[in-house]
Amino acid sequence: MKSLLVLWSAIFFLSSSYAKEHMVVIESMKFEPKELTVKKGDTITWINKDFFPHTATSLKNFNSKGIPAGKSWTYKANTVGQFPYKCLFHPPMKATLIVE
Amino acid sequence: MSSAFAAHVAAGPTDPEIAHIVVTANTIDINAGKVAEKKGTTKEVRAFAERMVTDHSAVNKQAGDLAKKLGVTPMDNDTSKSLMKGADENMKKLKELSGKAFDKQYVDHEVAYHEAVLNAIDKTLIPSAHNAELKALIEKVRPAIAAHLEHAKGMQASMMK
Repeated sequence: MKSLLVLWSAIFFLSSSYAKEHMVVIESMKFEPKELTVKKGDTITWINKDFFPHTATSLKNFNSKGIPAGKSWTYKANTVGQFPYKCLFHPPMKATLIVE
Repeated sequence: MSSAFAAHVAAGPTDPEIAHIVVTANTIDINAGKVAEKKGTTKEVRAFAERMVTDHSAVNKQAGDLAKKLGVTPMDNDTSKSLMKGADENMKKLKELSGKAFDKQYVDHEVAYHEAVLNAIDKTLIPSAHNAELKALIEKVRPAIAAHLEHAKGMQASMMK
């Protein structure tokens, strides 16, 4: 039982330590990259390099709300799927997050 | 756009004049947006107006900070005067109208206005700007104007249905 517990702890530790950090840059009214594929458990940080606030919003999944100019917002991808998202303030700004 | 604007555009404004045009163009849209934030009949129109106020205020702050940093005093010019004349005419109509007629006037003008500003950015402001930082600021703002135009056109199309 104890060895099983140690084994599960090791697996958990290893899978957590492989979680990656990704970045999406918001600049010139675009999300770059426009399509990002990550693994479940990875984190994604959106950095706003434009002059004005933006959002990264996938209705029902994630919503950064307003990210001010120069600021960032981080999301941990705990749900698998394909998530089209957009900026609520600027409807033409669209991108996709894929969580595997 | 008026012939005075076209002529001035053809001659090529100086950097102080460009700075004045940028601030004037932003201020015009901020002022129209402040009216539409309150008078727009739909959530969509009011949200767009709020966006215009926020975004154009942010650009004006950047432009003002840059002008200060470069020691450039914005200089009034025929283009700015022409923009202000058009703005005064639009504001007069916005104050007189209400309901759907207001929304139509506001959105139609926003489409035409952003088209004209985008055209001026591409044909005149970017090519004429001498200072690299001023040119870079206008280049960085261009996508926002294009996005505003696309947003406004989308609203205009849905209002025609």
